Amino acid sequence: MKYDVVVVGSGPAGSVTARFAAESGAKVLVLERRGEVGVPVLCGEGISRKIDKWDMFEGTRWIAGKMDGARIYSPDGTMVKLSADKAGNETGYVIYRDIFDQELAKRAMKAGVKYQMNARVSGLIKEKNKIKGVKAKQFDDEFEVEANIVVGADGVESKVGLWAGINTTLKPVDLETCAQYTLSGIDCNEGYCDFYLGQKIAPGGYVWVFPKGKDVANVGIGVLASLSEPGMAKKLLDKFIAARPELKKGMPLRFLAGAVPVSMPVETVRDNLVLVGDAARHVDPITGGGLTHCLEGGKIAGEVIGKAIKNHDFSRESLMEYENRWKDSFGKKIKRNYVVKEIMLDMDDKTFNMLADSLKDYNFDEISTLSLVKALVLKHPSLLKRLSPLIKAARA
Amino acid sequence: MAKPKAKVDSKKCLACCGCISVCPQDAIMWCSGRAFVNKDECTGCSICVKTCPVGAIAQEVC
Repeated sequence: MKYDVVVVGSGPAGSVTARFAAESGAKVLVLERRGEVGVPVLCGEGISRKIDKWDMFEGTRWIAGKMDGARIYSPDGTMVKLSADKAGNETGYVIYRDIFDQELAKRAMKAGVKYQMNARVSGLIKEKNKIKGVKAKQFDDEFEVEANIVVGADGVESKVGLWAGINTTLKPVDLETCAQYTLSGIDCNEGYCDFYLGQKIAPGGYVWVFPKGKDVANVGIGVLASLSEPGMAKKLLDKFIAARPELKKGMPLRFLAGAVPVSMPVETVRDNLVLVGDAARHVDPITGGGLTHCLEGGKIAGEVIGKAIKNHDFSRESLMEYENRWKDSFGKKIKRNYVVKEIMLDMDDKTFNMLADSLKDYNFDEISTLSLVKALVLKHPSLLKRLSPLIKAARA
Repeated sequence: MAKPKAKVDSKKCLACCGCISVCPQDAIMWCSGRAFVNKDECTGCSICVKTCPVGAIAQEVC
């Protein structure tokens, strides 16, 4: 089989990259190892509303709930409220990832992209060290796809990148190991994404409650892998739910496990190769949210790949425009938030409690560094010294 | 003496791919919707065992 572009993975990053490459005239094939696009869901299903401006979807079947904002709970239960536009890239909508992924795939199919299910990529085809396509297997049939550009959209495991010589292996300190129930029959608010912090609640991560309608919510946990013991994520999640009657009464519609990279982005461009989405580590290191970057980065990748195919130039130099553009778009933010994440990992529960106590009545609509510092110093003067590396990093 | 190698209980594995992404030896792969440890590549470092959110990986007693 010969294509201009072969995309490994039919998740959001893969489908969006494929669509925009095809809309630029490229002949594109997407290979998916699972039997169905978007299934099983491995996601908290929270996303920012800024995607409304990007014309990625038809209809709204993928929306489970519209959020007014986020509520962040410090270890002692102090709550800080943020409106949706101030609350980071996971707050805005709670979605149905399976429908979301399929809607994105449908859009790519509309642009002429071919999809093959149950097709697991086993390696890159290399001729004299040059990437010429991929080797794959569908059930018992082995086959090869020749392509000028290979797109690694293969998620957190990022093997395509590894096979191309990019070091995508994650250190345990750069991975959140996660578990999540979708519970039905619970008492939950419908308009806020809730985030719970605390070293005993979720070491190096947080517990989330993302409502999906009247009495249904995703209740999940992320634990930093370097702090994890076998089965810790599920154990702590069960403990969290058991301690809250409004959640304990619920029944599970679904239980899933997940792995979220919280690292610096990796090298994303080589001759004849591009990495997108989780495979590129385009995930916010603080929130663990990656969907918006998948869509944004996928669009840039698709456009640049389309140009490269038209110009018959598949070199790293030609594809480098993708890396430059995503670095401009969200790369700087990811880098900055990685530093903030490291600082936050050093902060103890006491510091989080003081921070929350200082911010619980703060008016975030009129946010400014000066007023923020004033609020902190007023209530807990010792905070200023403790937080100075954080303030420094946040302003970088 | 060699460290005991990791083995995935495929009944418990939920294919989150966390173990695959942290294995320093690239010894774990996705196979038919589950993680699978290649015993020849595994050095028994136990990073995957600790990472698994549902405790589906154990080190085999030789």
